Amino acid sequence: MKNFDYYKPDTLKEASELLLKLDKSYIINGGTDVVVRLRNELMEPDALINIKEIKSLHEIIEEEESITVGACVTMNEMAHHKAVIHDFGILVDAVHYAGSGQVRNLATMAGNICNASPLADSATPLLVYDAKVLVYSPNGDREIPITEFFKGVRKIALEKGEIVTGVRINKYKSVKGVFRKFSRRKEVDLSTVCSSVASVDGEIKIAFGSVAPIPLRAYKTEEFLKDKELTDEVIKEASKIARTEVSPIDDIRASKEYRLDMVELSVVRGLEHIRDN
Amino acid sequence: MKYVGKSIDRVDGVKKVTGDLKYVDDLKLSKMLYAAVKRSPHAHALIKNIDVSKALELEGVKAIKTGKDVPQRAGLYLEDKYFMAVDRARYIGEAVAVVAAITQEIAFEAVKLIEVEYEVIPAVTNALDALKADAPLIHPQLEEYYHASIFHPVPGTNISNHYKLRKGNIEKGFEEADFVYEYNFYVPHVQHVPIENHSAIAQMDRDGSLTVWASCQSPYAVRQALSVAFNIPLNKLRVLSPAVGGGFGSKAGTTLEGVIIPLAMELRGHPIKLTFSREDEFVNAFVRQGLHSKFKTGVNKNGKIIAIKNQYVWDGGAFNEYGVNISKAAGFAAVGPYDVEHIWADSYCVYTNHPVGGPYRGFGMSEIHYGIEQNMDIIADKLGIDPVEFRRINAQKEGGRTATDSYITNCGFLECIDNAADAIDFNKVETPSGKYKLRGKGFAGGMKAPSMPTNVASSAIVRLNEDGTVYLMSSAQDIGQGSDTVLIQMAAETLSINPDKFTIKTGDTDHTPYEWQTVASRITYCAGNAVVKACEDAKGQLLDLASIKLGFHKDDLMLEDGYVKAKFYPEKKVAIGDLALGLTMPDGSGVHGPIIGRGSFIPPNTMNFDLETGLGVNPVAFWTYGAQGVDIELDTDTGEIKVLRVSSSFDVGQVVNPILLEGQLEGAIVQSLGTALFEELMLKDGKPVNNSFVDYKIPTADDMPEMIIIPVENPEKTGPYGARGVAEPAMIPTAPAIANAIYSMTGVRIATMPLTPERVKKALKENKETGRTYFGVDSDYEFHIK
Repeated sequence: MKNFDYYKPDTLKEASELLLKLDKSYIINGGTDVVVRLRNELMEPDALINIKEIKSLHEIIEEEESITVGACVTMNEMAHHKAVIHDFGILVDAVHYAGSGQVRNLATMAGNICNASPLADSATPLLVYDAKVLVYSPNGDREIPITEFFKGVRKIALEKGEIVTGVRINKYKSVKGVFRKFSRRKEVDLSTVCSSVASVDGEIKIAFGSVAPIPLRAYKTEEFLKDKELTDEVIKEASKIARTEVSPIDDIRASKEYRLDMVELSVVRGLEHIRDN
Repeated sequence: MKYVGKSIDRVDGVKKVTGDLKYVDDLKLSKMLYAAVKRSPHAHALIKNIDVSKALELEGVKAIKTGKDVPQRAGLYLEDKYFMAVDRARYIGEAVAVVAAITQEIAFEAVKLIEVEYEVIPAVTNALDALKADAPLIHPQLEEYYHASIFHPVPGTNISNHYKLRKGNIEKGFEEADFVYEYNFYVPHVQHVPIENHSAIAQMDRDGSLTVWASCQSPYAVRQALSVAFNIPLNKLRVLSPAVGGGFGSKAGTTLEGVIIPLAMELRGHPIKLTFSREDEFVNAFVRQGLHSKFKTGVNKNGKIIAIKNQYVWDGGAFNEYGVNISKAAGFAAVGPYDVEHIWADSYCVYTNHPVGGPYRGFGMSEIHYGIEQNMDIIADKLGIDPVEFRRINAQKEGGRTATDSYITNCGFLECIDNAADAIDFNKVETPSGKYKLRGKGFAGGMKAPSMPTNVASSAIVRLNEDGTVYLMSSAQDIGQGSDTVLIQMAAETLSINPDKFTIKTGDTDHTPYEWQTVASRITYCAGNAVVKACEDAKGQLLDLASIKLGFHKDDLMLEDGYVKAKFYPEKKVAIGDLALGLTMPDGSGVHGPIIGRGSFIPPNTMNFDLETGLGVNPVAFWTYGAQGVDIELDTDTGEIKVLRVSSSFDVGQVVNPILLEGQLEGAIVQSLGTALFEELMLKDGKPVNNSFVDYKIPTADDMPEMIIIPVENPEKTGPYGARGVAEPAMIPTAPAIANAIYSMTGVRIATMPLTPERVKKALKENKETGRTYFGVDSDYEFHIK
């Protein structure tokens, strides 16, 4: 492993300046992805910038309309937060399946989405909630809709010097839905396919992970379902449309065929859940 | 009995849970250097040149050795193994050079600077291909290799051992049968994944004496192998195994020790440490061999099996020094725990360019029973006989014969079958937990003998202290199975001294007495016998002295609670501690001196088998029999299996420690469940593609079923207090029982492990589309060997 410099700035400004100044510099947050990539020599940074000293990033802020989860809030802190549990059950379910209990004591949701793995566990719930990614930028703060955040495998919509400070999710009047993770083993495994299927204020929203270069929404399926009664026939047809919206590959975790079957199944079981509960 | 049969706490428990116990990798010695290994990226290649010059220039590098520095072959049963590749690399990951440096990081950097020139040659990455006439030879000089006489390598082929079993008249058997069925099965490579990675330290002093600290199951076997390989007399070679964090067979024999010794020989006075990474562990330690199995079974319509002809082809990997014995053990148990009149079995251990196969809990039995027990199930179904009843009909019973034609004199198999079936209400239909779910039950039996040479020896020493406490010394290694505790319990029982007064010392060939190996589920039985004999020896000495002291004939004395007492006048007594250093006479003189008991043991009357027929009157010390039932739920859309309940009943002879036994049987179920559902070391053209916990999955707490353990106790007459081994046998039935449960629910038979959601889903889908019910192995169905 190559040597690198390590910084622990107290402010976002300092962190951002370091990112701008130093070549091959990366943010380290919970470290559960970065450390593994360092060990396996998949990344060779010149500098790592730890943002955990920045106090404001550790908060979960509940407002009337929304909840904002700070970038440094760990998955376990978030998943045990009363307001988050109350309003964002699908997200809590998803986060429960991220890594192991030990990993979730360190890992953060911001880190999970910034790592931009196609199978990020927290991505599909954020997609169906239409979450906003809050970004500190040297040119002024901005918000990126989660649906525009993922750009490719390990590629995200941040410019140099920008730092994710948190994720804001609107509180909806009614959300009904399920997160489902298909994996070789139920606990402590990577998703073969993951999905969130929800009715958000009456509108069906569907998102998949691990079946394309990025976690994505199934817009065509959603469009098809608009204003339709969830009969068995409609559900079946929706599941077939969903199959066409994804582009999974064969890898050692599963074949393309199995992934497509699980995409279909997610839609069937997700919509049945919405209809029958 | 006072102490045998009681659930006393593990004697090593506090040290283990607090972290006070030091494992090899915890040891930091002065002047220690760190090793790293350069490994072959090719499955099969000739080594043209190795250039270490750049690596040697790196600051902090102390020495580099290559295969040419250790050209001698070694091996337990067949001397085919090189510690580092000499002129040919035979699997991806084989060591070709090793570096010693002042830090681990420098050693890793230096490895990158070593340049190896290879000529890649065709590789053999399937055991069935290895048997083809035109297959590249992996060991062209096989005929020159030394091997133990009971093994039969076939020079000019890739066959390292061919074990034959010829019992009865197979042709006649098939003629007499009403029905004949043929099925085949495949079990892939799996890994032991002990929680502690392999680690070793070697140091050679300037006087030529070598000390090796190794996380190993068998310090004496390691000492012997290294002594032969490096030509060091046994009295100059000390092997210490301070603690073992799980072995499951992967730390039997030698693994990484021989790689660092050449460095230690040059860098005298420096301890050299090598510790495997988890990724190393998957590939560069032993793996469980893959198995292709095939069964042709003749059966009568009343359910009696008349004849079985079967073939086992073991994917032994690059070196088969240990694996040959697995193929032999499989032959002894060729048809599992069933009494079959006509048997024709061929068990082949075959070289491939795969990681090195070796001992793994079960020593072949889990692999063959995955086929045997599904074969039983299929045939029971064809005949319309209840699968449990079909097993009862064919079970080995007292008065019957084993596959090697030995008389069966002690067999609790039927009792185990009944217990396991009852505990799980085998024929009761259970309700699934929801829509899309099926629930069903499966059953399997199993048998195993200790797979060890006929004359393996054990010894123990017991030393009494003047305060009545005791040192027990053995080289049986507590690798997690609890041997420290049960050996103390048996010693405590024999000496009638409370177990908390004992300290056990193991794992040091300079100081603890000979033990062949901690393998084969043999420690409770073999080391236990030696311990009991040592304690009886000490007891004899105590009674002699007490007889003088108390004035009673020694037949009228007994040991009780730390005293020698007169049987009929228990108030006449002397504390054992008062006799520990000898007896002091009324005139002040002393007699006898310190009491030291010694015990030696070799399994009585186990004898070689006939090399042509494989038959033998008493080729193994004993057989352990058992059976399990499983209750599982299947999601038919996803293929996901949840194992809800498992019952397990084994005839253990005598339970020495009930809680430890339960733990061991539960651990066995879980390990077998892992192989059934998740585990496969995936090898693509010889390259391991999932050699880390990211993609190699073992069960978690979430996967634990409810486990019902029902021991049977038909005493083993040669066992200490009647005990026999069970550590490995207990792992055998779970996997085939799960496969059988899937069949019982779906009518789909999946002949290949593991039963991953994808594999199950695929079979169910195809079954729905085409009606196909039997999913055999991917490779050619027929494989014939002359």
